[in-house]
Amino acid sequence: MTANANTHQSGDALLLLKDVVSGYGKMTILNGTTAAIRRGAITTVIGPNGAGKSTMFKTIFGLLPVRTGTITMDGKEITNSSPRQMLDMGAVFIPQGRNIFAELTVKHNLELGGVALSDQSGLGDRIEDMFTRFPILREKANAQAGTLSGGQQKLLEVARGLLLNPKLMLVDEPSIGLSPLMVQEVFSILIDLAKKGVTILLIEQNAKQALQMSDYGLVLEQGQARIEDTAKNILNDARVAQLFLGGGMAPAAAAAPAH
Amino acid sequence: MADFLQLLIAGIATGAIYALAAIGFTLLWQTSQTINFAQGEFVMLPAFFALAAMKWGGAPFWLACLVAVAMSLLILGVAFKGLIVDPLIKHGAMPLVISTIGLSIFLKDGVKDAYSAEAQPFPAIFPDRLIEILGVKVSLAQIGVLIIAFGVIFVLQWFLGGTRIGRQMQATAQNPTVARILGVPVERMILYTFLINAALAAMASLLISPIYLAKFSSGETLGMAAFVAAIVGGFNQVRGAIAGGIIVGVLDNMAAVYVSTAYRQAVPLVLLVLIILFRPQGLLGRKEERAV
Repeated sequence: MTANANTHQSGDALLLLKDVVSGYGKMTILNGTTAAIRRGAITTVIGPNGAGKSTMFKTIFGLLPVRTGTITMDGKEITNSSPRQMLDMGAVFIPQGRNIFAELTVKHNLELGGVALSDQSGLGDRIEDMFTRFPILREKANAQAGTLSGGQQKLLEVARGLLLNPKLMLVDEPSIGLSPLMVQEVFSILIDLAKKGVTILLIEQNAKQALQMSDYGLVLEQGQARIEDTAKNILNDARVAQLFLGGGMAPAAAAAPAH
Repeated sequence: MADFLQLLIAGIATGAIYALAAIGFTLLWQTSQTINFAQGEFVMLPAFFALAAMKWGGAPFWLACLVAVAMSLLILGVAFKGLIVDPLIKHGAMPLVISTIGLSIFLKDGVKDAYSAEAQPFPAIFPDRLIEILGVKVSLAQIGVLIIAFGVIFVLQWFLGGTRIGRQMQATAQNPTVARILGVPVERMILYTFLINAALAAMASLLISPIYLAKFSSGETLGMAAFVAAIVGGFNQVRGAIAGGIIVGVLDNMAAVYVSTAYRQAVPLVLLVLIILFRPQGLLGRKEERAV
């Protein structure tokens, strides 16, 4: 870490997307996305279904190819890096849904989080750290991960991601299927991480709750970043409310009446 | 009773060989969605590699066995993956299935034309001498087969569960996307699976050929046995393939004696039908859901 980090300037972005275009097959989802994700803060990406939120994460992490445009992390161009290269850069990705290996033990799931560690001798200590941080995982260390509750499985995924001591975490819908209590717990872990300097990029279905604990918000619509602002301003933005009520941000005239 | 025990041991020995082929079958399915309908021919072929090495290369038997394993790794492992599976898997499972059926015909007729259409005697690794244990006569060859087959299975299970590479292979099989996200070299793990399948096929071939002779068409029965074993045990479980293999081997041997040798080959099929009717996920399998 360089000492001249100037946290409050918009120029201090860990991750920069510039005119990124990507999608699946012939379908274009990200259609020239430009955004700056600030260091050591939580940024929540919101937008209607199909806006390209998950696509954006997959594209950043190298699971989908960037057709045009560039992505930079820490001043280095990382466009079309492989997931392994992203891990080596200090990024981890926790995708939507259940992503544990159900038939392996909790401990072995954690261990797999360390595949990309350059110094494998430290793996045991790091697993131990995670057990100390999440005692429930220690308790269940030798149980098949599939036997954990949904919330515990999400904790395991977060712990597995933290094993690499990441600078950047991409977290896609962590609260899906979790009890409100568990959602609180996962959120408080993310807040704690941001305080320690980890940059967190989050997608949440419960946009309001997520923005309330975020520093910044990014509104994505039709594959483009429409608004980048502080979470507070976005929460108070009338256009956002309109967007989430189903109407687009395009002028109302575009949606011409049927007759 | 002694007859029954003898049959049981012979059945378990054949079943353990079927299990080797069935394990490879399930591993390929799990890690690369490849249903290999040439699996029987994969078990037929290595014996001919060994025979060819002895006939044309003048190699001693032990060297011929090593040649057979090496050729299997190269042809049934690396070349199969690189030339057939990799280019076709992009287009979905079905083109690949058809290609493996084509491959099975190619291998069968290739061996018939290149070597011989006659069944070939194959040297046994163990002497076919009968010994008596507690009044039951068992052949040393069967005991040898049992020890080797179960030894291989044990080592494989230890490798998959007890080593980090093995667990990375399991992770790749269970969820390749997440494995990639964690930095697991997924492509390499898939290659390892193909190599393991080739090695298992070679082992099965060297063990079964002394019993049933090496013949270009023997893959039909072997492939069916491996396929049924994999389905019966549960298509997505290595231990299911082991159980399935042994069940098919034992039933097959029992049926030959107690029912009729003519119906011997029907027994695995009857078993297959029963399992698909009453327990489609297999004895030890878990239900699988596929995103559409």
